[in-house]
Amino acid sequence: MSILRDMFSAFKGGVSEAGEAVVDSQAIRIFEQNIREADAAIKEASRSLTILKGKEIQLKRKLDETSEDIGDWEAKAIAALDSGREDLATKAAERIAEITTEHDSLKDEHDALRKEVLELNTLIQQRKRTLEKTRNELERVKTTDQIQKATSKISSNFAATNSKTNRVQESLDRIRKKQQAHKDNMKAGEWMEEKNETDSLDKEFSEAGIGGDASPAADDILARLKKKSGKG
Amino acid sequence: MSEILEELVLRLNTHSTPEGTTFFAELKDELIHVVCSNNEEFPINIVKTDMQILTVSHLFSEDEVMDGKLDELNKIMLQLNPSIPLSSVGLKDGQYILFGAMAVDTLFENLAHELGVQAENVIELLDAVSPMLASNEIRGIKS
Repeated sequence: MSILRDMFSAFKGGVSEAGEAVVDSQAIRIFEQNIREADAAIKEASRSLTILKGKEIQLKRKLDETSEDIGDWEAKAIAALDSGREDLATKAAERIAEITTEHDSLKDEHDALRKEVLELNTLIQQRKRTLEKTRNELERVKTTDQIQKATSKISSNFAATNSKTNRVQESLDRIRKKQQAHKDNMKAGEWMEEKNETDSLDKEFSEAGIGGDASPAADDILARLKKKSGKG
Repeated sequence: MSEILEELVLRLNTHSTPEGTTFFAELKDELIHVVCSNNEEFPINIVKTDMQILTVSHLFSEDEVMDGKLDELNKIMLQLNPSIPLSSVGLKDGQYILFGAMAVDTLFENLAHELGVQAENVIELLDAVSPMLASNEIRGIKS
């Protein structure tokens, strides 16, 4: 199952609420159940693999031991022949034949087991990949479900408060106003800072007697007003 | 799950990004509703899955688009999408959304940063496409 392909078909088919149709809680539960089962199966198979691998190692050790035994008895047989004891050499040869039979049977068993271990390992790896894919698939389902939840929540919120109007434009306007107010405040702050600096500089100069009297005399003002009214 | 979300709400409500963005977050039904100080008009919803955290902003509905402008708007949205930092646009059940996706173990600071950026992205994107959204008067005439 590919959730994206299903959704595509649903959209093409004109299902208006495709998300809801494809992704219901039942689908998620089924997915989760499948994943749990696959996970359990993999764990079970891994346990079997451990046991089989253990047996394989055990058999390999036995196999090595029989090979060594064969080598030992061969050396003994040669030594017996060298010392002219053919009777002993024959007994050694018989022993070698017995051990070889055991060795061959062990080898067949070991080969079969080794193959089984490899096959089981491959199967587990394949299952793990499939499980990983299923997990990703579930993630897509859940994402779709959660986005659905998130968008329906938002839309119901705005439907309750903003069912009319060119909502977006009005919101943008309010944001711009807020941003402008923020900028204005920043500027006002800068201006206040600058002004404080200037004031203190003026004060310093005036205290030093430089820059003259800041406030104009009443006589000067009267003279200016008279001039303005044409009586000056 | 909800414990993680509760902690996230608490941290968001006491956090300020290096850019000075603050958040007002509330948890409701496994969903965090966040208002960012740099965009109080378009809240962001946070949802969480096993793998990721999704931050979703609702932009506008299909029926808010001017008559006959839907195809053009869709194309423009696709064209703008790669230029929007950290966010993607989408359409879900007739609602245009802007969303961000983060790994579930993302650092809180990254999440907060992404929320601030997303809030800005919403303004930028809406500013660009708002001429294609139906105005009050037009919609009034239409109905």
